[in-house]
Amino acid sequence: MNDVPAPERPVVAADAVDALLKEVRPDMTYRELDVVVRKRKRVAAPREPASGKVMRIAVAGDATTNYVAAPLPLLLEARGIDAVLHHVPYASLEAEVLREGSELARWRPDLLIVMQTPLAIKDWPGEFEGAQAVEAFVAARVEHVMTLCERARERFGCEVIVDNWHTLPLRPHGSLGRRMPGERNSVIRRMNAELDRRASDGVRIHDVEGLSSLVGSRRWVDWRLWFHAKQPMSFESIVPYGFSYAAAIASSYRGDVKCIAVDLDNTLWGGVIGDDGIGGIHFQQGDPQGEAFQEFQKYLARLKARGLILAVCSKNEPENARLPFEQPGMVLRLDDFAAFKANWMPKSENIRAIAAELNIGLDAIVFVDDNPVERGLVRSALPTVKVVEMPEDPADYPMALDKTGWFEAARISSEDLQRTQQYLDNAKRRELAASVTDYESYLRTLEQCAYIGDFLPEQIERITQLVNKTNQFNLTTQRVGSGDIQALVGRDDVLRVAVRLTDKFGDNGLIAVLYGSFRGDELLITQWLMSCRVFNRGVEQMTMNHVVARCRERGVRRIIGEYRATKKNVVVKDLYERLGFARDKAEDTSESEVQFWALDLSGYEDLPHSIEVNVYGSESK
Amino acid sequence: MDRIADIIRERFGYDGDVTAETVAAEVEGWDSVAHVELIIAIEMEFGIRLTTGETSDLPNVGALVAAVERHVSRRAGSR
Repeated sequence: MNDVPAPERPVVAADAVDALLKEVRPDMTYRELDVVVRKRKRVAAPREPASGKVMRIAVAGDATTNYVAAPLPLLLEARGIDAVLHHVPYASLEAEVLREGSELARWRPDLLIVMQTPLAIKDWPGEFEGAQAVEAFVAARVEHVMTLCERARERFGCEVIVDNWHTLPLRPHGSLGRRMPGERNSVIRRMNAELDRRASDGVRIHDVEGLSSLVGSRRWVDWRLWFHAKQPMSFESIVPYGFSYAAAIASSYRGDVKCIAVDLDNTLWGGVIGDDGIGGIHFQQGDPQGEAFQEFQKYLARLKARGLILAVCSKNEPENARLPFEQPGMVLRLDDFAAFKANWMPKSENIRAIAAELNIGLDAIVFVDDNPVERGLVRSALPTVKVVEMPEDPADYPMALDKTGWFEAARISSEDLQRTQQYLDNAKRRELAASVTDYESYLRTLEQCAYIGDFLPEQIERITQLVNKTNQFNLTTQRVGSGDIQALVGRDDVLRVAVRLTDKFGDNGLIAVLYGSFRGDELLITQWLMSCRVFNRGVEQMTMNHVVARCRERGVRRIIGEYRATKKNVVVKDLYERLGFARDKAEDTSESEVQFWALDLSGYEDLPHSIEVNVYGSESK
Repeated sequence: MDRIADIIRERFGYDGDVTAETVAAEVEGWDSVAHVELIIAIEMEFGIRLTTGETSDLPNVGALVAAVERHVSRRAGSR
C-alpha cells in the first residue's frame, strides 16, 4: 500500500469508478445496487465531472425519500451526469418553495423532483361520493402540487419533475370499483389524468403509475416499510424507480439519443438474407418468428415516428441487404432509414460514418445487434456508443430496448416528428451545396464502373422485377407482365438499355432500365427507372449520354421524355430538366400529371460523371 | 445470537461488539428504513417471517434475537 506513489492514486480511483459504473445494470437487485452505491461512496471522487458541471438536484416528497433517492447520483453518473442531492425535509415543500430565503432557495437547485405516494393521502373522498365531490377533491389536490411546482420553477429557475400516483394494490370492491368515482384507484386515475393535463415542458411528469404497473402494484408497495419507516415503496422497486428517474433526468440534461443503428440478419428479420434468400428469412405475418421480428420493427417504427433516426449497420452485400425492404409484409421500408450501411467493413467504421453523415455525436447512437461478438467489437472500439445487450429470443427484443431507458425524451417538438425527413433533406442539401469538385472527388473514390447496353437474356427476369418494384426513381411507373420485356427484345424500333453498376464495395447488380420507341427522327422514352440506392451517383447522366449516342447513330434529332407523377416518384420530377430537357407543351395532354419533356440533340454535350463506362459489344467483360 | 450479530456488523460496517444489550442508536446508520432492511435480511437468513408488532418497539438486540428464536423453535416444533 505504502509503495504506491501518491500522485497516481487519483488515476487508480478513476479506474475504480469506471469499473463500478460498469456494474450498474437495470436488472440488478436492490442489494447489488446498494453494494455499488456504498462502494462508490468509499472511492474519493478525484474525477473531473464527466459533463463538466455538477447538477444540483433537490428531492422533496410526502414520505421518506432518502433511501429511494440515494442511488440517484450513481445512476446518473453511469449516464455521464454528475449530481449532488439536497433533501428537502419531509413534507415541507410548501414552506421551502414559498418562503423568502428558505434553505432550498439558498441552495439554488437545477432540478426539483417531487416524489409522491398515494399511501400519504389521508383525506380521501368517501368511496360512495358522487363524481362531483371526487372532481373537487382531484382538482384541489392537483392544483396544490402543480402550483407549488410551477412556483418553484419561477422562483428557482429550475426544471421540475413530479411523480404521478401509482394505483393501490388493494381492491376491496373488485371490478365494481370502476363504476365508483370515489373508489381509491378511480380517484388516483382521475388525479393522474388531471396531472397530465397540467404538465408542461418545465414541469414534467414522472410516470410512476406506468412504471409500477410494469413491476406490479403488489410488489411496488411493502407495507411494513411504510408502517415502520414511511418509505413509500419496496426495496425491489427502488431499482426501476431510480433508473426511470435517471432516464427522465438524462433526457433533458444530456443530449438525447438521436439515432438507432440496427443490424439486419437475425436482428430485423430471422435468418441470413445472403444465405437463406428472400424466401428463407422470417419477417412475415403468420410465422411466429416472423411476427416476433415484425413486432420489433414496429417498436422501432414508433421510436422513429417520434423523431429518432434509424440507420442500418450490417455486414451484407448491399444488394441483398435492401431486397427484403421491398417485400410486402416488411414493416420498415428503405425510406425509414436515414443512413444505410451494408458492406463488409468493420461495424465501428460504419457507425463512425453514420455519425459523420448525420452530423451527430457517437454518444447519440444506440447500436442494436444480435451478435455478441459485433457488440463487443463496437463497445471496445467506440466506448461512447450505447450498445444494447440483446436477448437470444427475438420475442424479447422490444423489451430489451424498452428497459434501457435510453429513448426517453423530455418533450416532443414538431421538429422531432420530422427529423428523419430533415436529415434526408440535409443530406440532399449538403450534396447540392458542397462544391461540385468535392462531391465529384467523393464519387471518384467510389471507383464506379458501369456495364451498359441491350437487355441480355439472363437479365430479363431482374428487369421485369425492377420495373414492377421501383417506385421512386421511376418516370412513368408503367408495370409490365411476365412476357412483356421479352417481347421488346430484338425489335429494331425499340431502344433498350440496361445498366449494371459496380463500385469498390462490390457489385450493385442491374440497377437501371430504360426503353423507348423510335418514331421518325424522335425517340420517345416510355420507361426509365433506377434503383434508389444509386441516386445522384452520375448513373442518370451516364445513361443519358449513352441514349444520346445511340440516337445519333440512327440520326435521331430529338428525344422526348415522359413523366407521370405518382405519390412516390417526386424524386424524379425534375430529372429531365436537370438533364437539359425543356418542357414540351405541344406534347402535353390534358392530364396534368403527365408531362412531356424534349431534348434537341444538336446542342447536347456529354454530361459529366465519374463512372467508367463499358458498353456491351464494344468492350463488355 | 452470533448469526444475527454477524448480520448487523456486516450491514452497518459496525466494528464494536454486538451483544444482547446493544441498541440501534449505538450503531451508525441503523435508522427506521435500515431496520426494516435488517429484518428482511434476518428473515431470509432464518427462513421465517416476523410480524410488524415483533419488529417495532424492540428495546435492544436481545429482544430481536428472542423474537427470531421464537419463530425458529415454533417452526421446528411444527415439523
